[in-house]
Amino acid sequence: MIWVETLINGALLGGLYGLLGIGLALVFGVMRVVNIAHGEFMVLSAFCAVLLSNMFPQVSPLLMLVPVIALSFAVGWLYQALIVNRVVTSPDPLSPLLLTFGVSVILRNVMVEIFGADVRSLQVGELSRASLEVAGLNIGIMPLLTLVLAALLFMALQLVLRRTEFGRIVRATADRRDIVRLSGVKPDRVYNYVMGLSLALGAIGGVLLAVRSSFTPFSGAERLLIAFEVVVLGGLGSFWGALLGGIALGMAQLIGLKIDPNAGLLYAHLLFFIMLLIRPSGLVSSRV
Amino acid sequence: MACVIVLVAVIAGAPFVLNEGFLRLATECLLLLTMAQMWNLLAGYAGLVSLGHQVFIAFGAYALFLASGWLEVTPIWVLPVAPLMAAAIAAIIAFPLFRLRDAYFSIAMWVFAEIIGAFTMKSQAVGGTSGMPLATSKLIDFDWFEPTMFWLAGGLTLVTIAALYKMMTSSFGLGLMSVRDNDLAAMSVGVDVRHNRLIAFVLSAAGCGLAGALSFMGNLFIAPLAAFDVNWSVYMMFIVIIGGIGTLEGPILGVIIFFGLRELMTGPLGLSGGWYLVGLGIIAVVVMIVAPRGIWPALRDRLGVRLLDVHRAAPRPAAGTILPSTSERVTG
Repeated sequence: MIWVETLINGALLGGLYGLLGIGLALVFGVMRVVNIAHGEFMVLSAFCAVLLSNMFPQVSPLLMLVPVIALSFAVGWLYQALIVNRVVTSPDPLSPLLLTFGVSVILRNVMVEIFGADVRSLQVGELSRASLEVAGLNIGIMPLLTLVLAALLFMALQLVLRRTEFGRIVRATADRRDIVRLSGVKPDRVYNYVMGLSLALGAIGGVLLAVRSSFTPFSGAERLLIAFEVVVLGGLGSFWGALLGGIALGMAQLIGLKIDPNAGLLYAHLLFFIMLLIRPSGLVSSRV
Repeated sequence: MACVIVLVAVIAGAPFVLNEGFLRLATECLLLLTMAQMWNLLAGYAGLVSLGHQVFIAFGAYALFLASGWLEVTPIWVLPVAPLMAAAIAAIIAFPLFRLRDAYFSIAMWVFAEIIGAFTMKSQAVGGTSGMPLATSKLIDFDWFEPTMFWLAGGLTLVTIAALYKMMTSSFGLGLMSVRDNDLAAMSVGVDVRHNRLIAFVLSAAGCGLAGALSFMGNLFIAPLAAFDVNWSVYMMFIVIIGGIGTLEGPILGVIIFFGLRELMTGPLGLSGGWYLVGLGIIAVVVMIVAPRGIWPALRDRLGVRLLDVHRAAPRPAAGTILPSTSERVTG
């Protein structure tokens, strides 16, 4: 019974991991750039939420998601417009990788200097401890809400990309950056919005993860690695695959923690590495 | 040649002139220069960016500490196990990792380093999270320890740069650079891309293993948090990017800027190590945007200096034949 509970909790955690991965997958799918600073931006949004809830203690920390998402969108837009767009068309595929890695180092150390290296977490009071009793299984309300939210966001993103004008422009830009210009689309402008959207999604994941477990300015690296593993396991460009990949990693991590309480992310990393050996194309192979 | 003799003489004589603090700093500089050259061999010449190169530093260092403890000999005599261990690991993990390209390779290397780091912290045989001291430190002659470390680091640096120069002017180097510039064209003239990359990867790991072993031997202590620190990759990358990727002179310039800035910011300006990394990161990002090939190539083109250049001119067309104009640049 305890193992069933572990598996279910792993799946719920997986919803959150899916959220971490989706922003990274979006940017990679549209502009072929792996944004190494994605994890640091997530941690930054968590710090913003902590600061805001310290300033307004009477407001529920979960409501802080609204300003943090808006802020993250703006930061993403500027980050793309000022920095990433300058190398996105570079003939060397390594330039964006090195550049975003440089940005991640800057962000991490600025956060260390400003907020200190202490362990932080976002308190949401009763909600974090509330749980449901279903057929003898204990299931947390907060993780359940997170998985539902993740699934809704995945659906919304899918709808936006499939059915709206904006989605058509984004997909066209992803396919042929040079040709869309003929229809009056400015690819750089599209990229700005995509990066904004990516960091806004990352902010949701970052803040919800900060509710679940504590974080420090150094947590960005492990968040990036999880996000990346989610994307690769799920198969590139497949949003539902990312959710599945997240669930697989979440289960691996919680089963690992049951066997060995201080394993951390080791078992999630191992699952990723083994999958890489036997199935390099990911769990699901399909395109956006 | 005269230049080499002067450099050897400078390295041989330096310990008699410099005080101990300076000597330690110089040793650190030289070891980091070797690591940066090794990272550059992989990123600048073979086109593989590794964000997990700290794993080879750690393998080399742990191999030295363990071998020295088991055999109960002075660590210097077991130094060769460090590059051998790192090279063997690199040759094994190349099989799964070489299926991945670009960013995938980079991050999979990082994940590999994290996995090995986590296992190291669990292993009580190597001291777990708290690490272990060098068991044979009592066999070391401490009167000559700092100078010996400096000579080893200096010798390693000179040999590394000379070997890289020799390699890049050989047909193997030409093959490597042709793969970096255009792998399809290189394959069409018979360059074995996979084989070249494998050799570069294994050599790069071996060099980092040796430099890492020397670095931790100087500390007489090793702990997993320091050995598997991703900052090793950050330092190597920043030095190479700022100085000039794909050149032998670039990392030398990069190391000078790296340590110059560190001594300036943490010394007279009194700033913390965090702000120093922020400053270094900003320089790297600005260099990548303004001069993507690094400071040295930009300077070289402006001043027309050639130091360790491995540039080749395109063969001249025979008189009377008309060829379409081709790019003269074969190497960077």
